[in-house]
Amino acid sequence: MASDGTEQGDMDQPKFNWVDITQEFLSASSQLPLGELVHTNMFGLFEAMSAIEMMDPKMDAGMLCNQIKRKVLSLEQAVEEGSVKISKLEHSELIGIMDSSLACLVTWIEGHSLAQTVFTNLYLHNPYIIEDRCLKCFCIVMLKTVDLIRERINRAGTVEEEDFQPMSYGFKMAGDVSDSRAIGMIKEVEEEYGKISKNTRPKAGQDRTVIQETEHQMVTAVHIRLKFFRLFYSALLSFVKEKCEGVQMAHKQLSQIVEILPAMISTISFGIQEESSEASKNDYPTIPGFEPLINQRLLPPTFPRYTIIKDRLESVNYIKTLVQKLQSITVVPELGSLHTILDFFMDFSRSSPCVLSRSLLQLMLIPPNRRVFGSQSVVDALKETIRNFISPPGLSPKSSIYNHAQAKEYIDALLTRAARPICTLFQITGHNRARQRDKWAHILDDLSNLQEEADKVDAYLHTLLVQTERNRSHLACFGTWVLYHTLNAMINYTLSGFELELYATFEYHYVYWYLYELLYAWMVSTLHRADSFLLDAENAPADMSQKGRSSKKTKKKKRTKTLARELTIAQAYQQMFGGYYKAVVAFQLCGKLKEPKFKFDNEEVRYSHRFAPFSTVLTPPMVHYAQYKEMSDLSRYDPLPTTQEMFGAACKCFCQAKELLDSIIPQTEEIQAIIKIAKTNFVVMKLVVGGHKEDSLDPPEFDFTQHNIFPIIKLIL
Amino acid sequence: MRAMAVDSPNLNISGSRPERQKIENWLNKSMRIRMTDGRTLVGVFLCTDCDCNIIVGSCEEYLRPPDSQPKEDPRILGLAMIPGKHVVSIEIDETAVPQGSDNLDRSEGVGDSGYDHPDYM
Repeated sequence: MASDGTEQGDMDQPKFNWVDITQEFLSASSQLPLGELVHTNMFGLFEAMSAIEMMDPKMDAGMLCNQIKRKVLSLEQAVEEGSVKISKLEHSELIGIMDSSLACLVTWIEGHSLAQTVFTNLYLHNPYIIEDRCLKCFCIVMLKTVDLIRERINRAGTVEEEDFQPMSYGFKMAGDVSDSRAIGMIKEVEEEYGKISKNTRPKAGQDRTVIQETEHQMVTAVHIRLKFFRLFYSALLSFVKEKCEGVQMAHKQLSQIVEILPAMISTISFGIQEESSEASKNDYPTIPGFEPLINQRLLPPTFPRYTIIKDRLESVNYIKTLVQKLQSITVVPELGSLHTILDFFMDFSRSSPCVLSRSLLQLMLIPPNRRVFGSQSVVDALKETIRNFISPPGLSPKSSIYNHAQAKEYIDALLTRAARPICTLFQITGHNRARQRDKWAHILDDLSNLQEEADKVDAYLHTLLVQTERNRSHLACFGTWVLYHTLNAMINYTLSGFELELYATFEYHYVYWYLYELLYAWMVSTLHRADSFLLDAENAPADMSQKGRSSKKTKKKKRTKTLARELTIAQAYQQMFGGYYKAVVAFQLCGKLKEPKFKFDNEEVRYSHRFAPFSTVLTPPMVHYAQYKEMSDLSRYDPLPTTQEMFGAACKCFCQAKELLDSIIPQTEEIQAIIKIAKTNFVVMKLVVGGHKEDSLDPPEFDFTQHNIFPIIKLIL
Repeated sequence: MRAMAVDSPNLNISGSRPERQKIENWLNKSMRIRMTDGRTLVGVFLCTDCDCNIIVGSCEEYLRPPDSQPKEDPRILGLAMIPGKHVVSIEIDETAVPQGSDNLDRSEGVGDSGYDHPDYM
């Protein structure tokens, strides 16, 4: 760039020849007509839009440094000046620093930059000059914790840019101290504090002064904090261990953290607090050792301004939730088949966990060596899973083709291909809820291709199978399994629209229709098919060796593998959406729901847009708008159903959904919540059938407060 | 290019006005602007309007006055717009540079800086 060249060429010989033109420029520009620009011929309004606006507090990060009257000092400068202590810190100061650092850490995990959060703590810039042992080992463990979290999240790929800031701005993360050394250091100091805490404990018959008592409480507060940071770091390290070997350990460490968190919360007030006077829009008060503006110059010009650090109490509560989530994921290695695990991942994601717990979960299942839990190959895990799902003859040791070389090769090739899209399914659930929608749409392409392959393999295996076992079939076996995942992806995609509040009420009819008539209808039949395969497999003649066993009949009754639960849930959901669909149609019929008239928009465009990702999928085939219109046309019925009849049908659907859900054992909170909604909607529909609010034209309200996918239908007074 | 087409008629109508001519002569030259908060910006003059809002490309920000010692490292801002009300003084670099190559170089610089931060709207 020319300007750089002339200016930076050599510092001692400036080549600029500056001429002041202020007055000239101002008078010349003021005579321009309003709205007219003078610009170079390469420059226009379009480029102008990307310019950052100086002196705008939101865009101009550099502005903040200047407006603050106080001087921004680095750690070394501050120590020299005496405003920051590196030795003989009071207990209250240590507590304050530790709690503030934790607040910064939490703020960072929530998506802000390291420079504006964790590294506003000056001590972390160079922990080696700190003389206070407690503070020093705390700082080192803090740095190592940050580094580990960063590495984990980067590796798990659970975020997109803007969701999380992994930039380290060249800060040193105490990489020269080994994990065990860092833990050893903090443990040593922790034990010292533990001893002091013990020695200052109230003894029987001793008269204690207030000072002694406070001293004891202070020491204990520092002690539990050291313990917390050691355990937190150790727990994270345990999760990193290969083949999930550290998961048990992590669980233990997390339980220990849970025990000490209440004590941490109750002692937050012991730490020094920032003064409240100086607060302004661009700066915030901190305790000594923290400088919010220290890294302003490191930030890119258009950087998110300044960061509000979370409250200390809020942060500890955040950690509490995080620890609970981490505890809940320690059960994953015992879950068994990949389908169960995927269900767990989906449920986990529904609880909107933070990026760290999501990342640790991802890496636990599929660590960088790309083996399930670090030990089993994905293909083997898939075989096991598919056996549990549909028990294909090709994977059944009882079957005649089990040892067929060619068949084996085909199956292995198919499953090797399947590994990537299936792993992606797990990965999708690792993203935040809003990102998932796009990803469900994208995966459909891969699944559709996989489906095609699966069908081919099935066809080949079938021809082999019928040569020896005439009455068995291998058609659409692996295919059904892939279809199951395709349908799940489509359903997740469609349902996420409710969760993200994308659909307008006047769109509900086709969304509900698609779910009811298409996606869940297919899902139910897919599960039926898989279930009947399972039954066939169990009833298959178990080779010659087992014939004549008398216990055969009793065996038949007790099925070991069944998809009954999945099937019932799918049927129940289908009925739920059926109920909504019929209710919406009925509301349309009686004029309570009307589509607003838009000038440049029509239903077909919206419909095609909503279901556009489904066009890449061959099975189930996309239902285009015209088809939808035809299929949902009420005039197919003769006589035309009345409003009352439609409401009655909706009523029936909700009733069925409720009965189906009631039959599921064991019940989960989720299912119970849906039962309640089904019940309520059933009652509302019944009321409408009975003529409740018949003559009002007010639209019904869909209340998503109980559940973000299944609304309660409400009639407004 | 697109935006240019929009307001190019202006150029034709007012191209002859002397004050406009004067500003056009400064285009693509290095400009040094002091702002109300004491910072100095150095960059290539690209655009202005009747309120003296100025856009400079390849902009560098100095916190201290330009002649102070020791020399500070500038922060690179890229494309920046300075609202007229925050402009304290304007200086233009009158170093004689071979006209032809100068223009070409500079306009490339503009392009660069424009794409440095394309996502900030």
